[in-house]
Amino acid sequence: MDKPISPNLTRGAKIRIGLLILALVLPVLPLVSDYLLHIIILIFLYMILSLGLNIVPGFNGLLDLGYVGFYGIGAYTSGLLTYHFGLSYWVIIPLAFINGAIWGILLGAPTLRLTGDYFAIVTFGFSELVVLFLTNEIWLTRGPLGLPGIDVVSIDLTLFGGPKWEFVGEVPYYYLALCMVLVTVFVMYRIQDSRLGRAWFAIRDDEVAAVSCGINLLTYKVIAFAISAAFGAVGGSFFARWVTFLSPDMFKFWESFLILCMIVLGGMGNIWGVMIGAALLVSLSEVLREILPLFGLPAEVRFLAFGLIMVLMMRYRPAGMLPIPAVAAQMRAGRTKRKKEKPVAGLKS
Amino acid sequence: MIPILEIKNLNKFFGGLRALKDISFNINQGEIIGLIGPNGAGKTTLFNCVAGIEKPTDGRITFSIDDRAFSIGGRKPETVTALGIARTFQNIRLFDNLTVSDNVKIGRHCRTRSIFFGAVIRSKFQRTEEKMITESAEQFLEFVGLKGRGQEIASSMPYGDQRRLEIARALATEPRLLMLDEPAAGMNPQESRGLTKLIHRIRDEGITVLLIEHDMKVVMGVCERVVVINHGEWLAEGVPQDVQNNPKVIEAYLGTGAADAAQAG
Repeated sequence: MDKPISPNLTRGAKIRIGLLILALVLPVLPLVSDYLLHIIILIFLYMILSLGLNIVPGFNGLLDLGYVGFYGIGAYTSGLLTYHFGLSYWVIIPLAFINGAIWGILLGAPTLRLTGDYFAIVTFGFSELVVLFLTNEIWLTRGPLGLPGIDVVSIDLTLFGGPKWEFVGEVPYYYLALCMVLVTVFVMYRIQDSRLGRAWFAIRDDEVAAVSCGINLLTYKVIAFAISAAFGAVGGSFFARWVTFLSPDMFKFWESFLILCMIVLGGMGNIWGVMIGAALLVSLSEVLREILPLFGLPAEVRFLAFGLIMVLMMRYRPAGMLPIPAVAAQMRAGRTKRKKEKPVAGLKS
Repeated sequence: MIPILEIKNLNKFFGGLRALKDISFNINQGEIIGLIGPNGAGKTTLFNCVAGIEKPTDGRITFSIDDRAFSIGGRKPETVTALGIARTFQNIRLFDNLTVSDNVKIGRHCRTRSIFFGAVIRSKFQRTEEKMITESAEQFLEFVGLKGRGQEIASSMPYGDQRRLEIARALATEPRLLMLDEPAAGMNPQESRGLTKLIHRIRDEGITVLLIEHDMKVVMGVCERVVVINHGEWLAEGVPQDVQNNPKVIEAYLGTGAADAAQAG
């Protein structure tokens, strides 16, 4: 482990190490307020969410409009397990992951046979269903009253005779979120460069050729959907323990749309691009929230600004800020690509 | 000896259109067999039925390996690939935006196992498997003559190389039967000579080859036997020279007058 850091690092590696050091020392820097940390934690949260969502549209080329459903499931899994059973957050993370994956499989297995837009509509319906469930099943979720007073995250070492340390303020959450982002990025990089990732990319490029290579489309799409959902749920579980209050209207459709915007803005399928997209939109949202009232506009006008950005993106950089070749090619040659996606016509020869 | 592929009374309807009518023929282990016929004869439909992309309306397709017979008519394409039938496409279907080496690695998919946890944890099993995938991908690229070009993007390669890459990807699935759909289409004479050699080398590896081809030079050069279909019907079968002189075949390709002329001459 004590390999000396090689002096001839590539530029990319230098940037990465620089960013990591900056991220590690950021909370102790002067001029860094709790408000700023709060925003950065929000950015980290949306990075986890958009990296998770990225698997479905970015790696597999399927449009998913219901991602917020899994985010909500994760948040309520975390909230309710804390509220009723007082489970530790460290136990909740894997439980939320598994619960997200289960719902991903339950939704994906029957619906991933649908193609393109039809699948997108089903996922949209699912996210609405989750909100309706959270609103109406009052016995479980307290409905519109919300779930207040969820315990903060704590590190409890009393079992081993140690102290119990509760997370107060933004700094501990900052480091927790940072760790979660790093783990997510790590997992994404490893998947990207593996048999699983290659199978997804094959599906994204050409489904007929993919099955001819022995890839079972449904199985691999369901795996993608489950992993994506699992990360959404983990993001939700963090959110619940961080804001300590949940209500169904936090998981409305526009959240899905916002996360989708992040990955489209940054560059679908590109891990760095997706993270940059998350950082940009979250910070822009906060800036606009401050600025708009100065002009006598309600803060909600910021959604108009997002819409405008998306329109401009589609016009000038449809594949995102850091495009990957696959998505860029699809955007360039949308029509020819669609032609190719048709199943092989029967009577060619 | 049991034929590796036995097609019996195969029928395929597209709505009211009968694309394949009672086609029957066998493919023997280790031969190079050509499937020819005029445009629209149903050759690719037949391929698709064998490969599982189209479901035959009626009839039997039996694939035999190591004295075990599998009925594959109507099975899913990925199952057919796993059993040992690989194919290429008439209009090349590569993973255009991936590297050459990734294309071949994807071909290894059905012979490997690791999924999510293997990929994340990088278990010893996964690492050995990944190493094997990389090594065998290089071998297959070398076999088709694309050594050292693994990092190129598939769609940036010249047409002839894309054809060969598609063959490498099909070979990477370790097939017993390789089906090539017009592999020489769009190739210049030099490239098709190279292709002829490649097909012979594939057969020397013990792989049976079925190919659809319009280029008669290639067909005559590699095929040991030829099956002719026309309008979805079996028309003739035999060694290339006999088939070439068969009046019915000439008629199918060139019309009745040509057949008469050929006989008179």
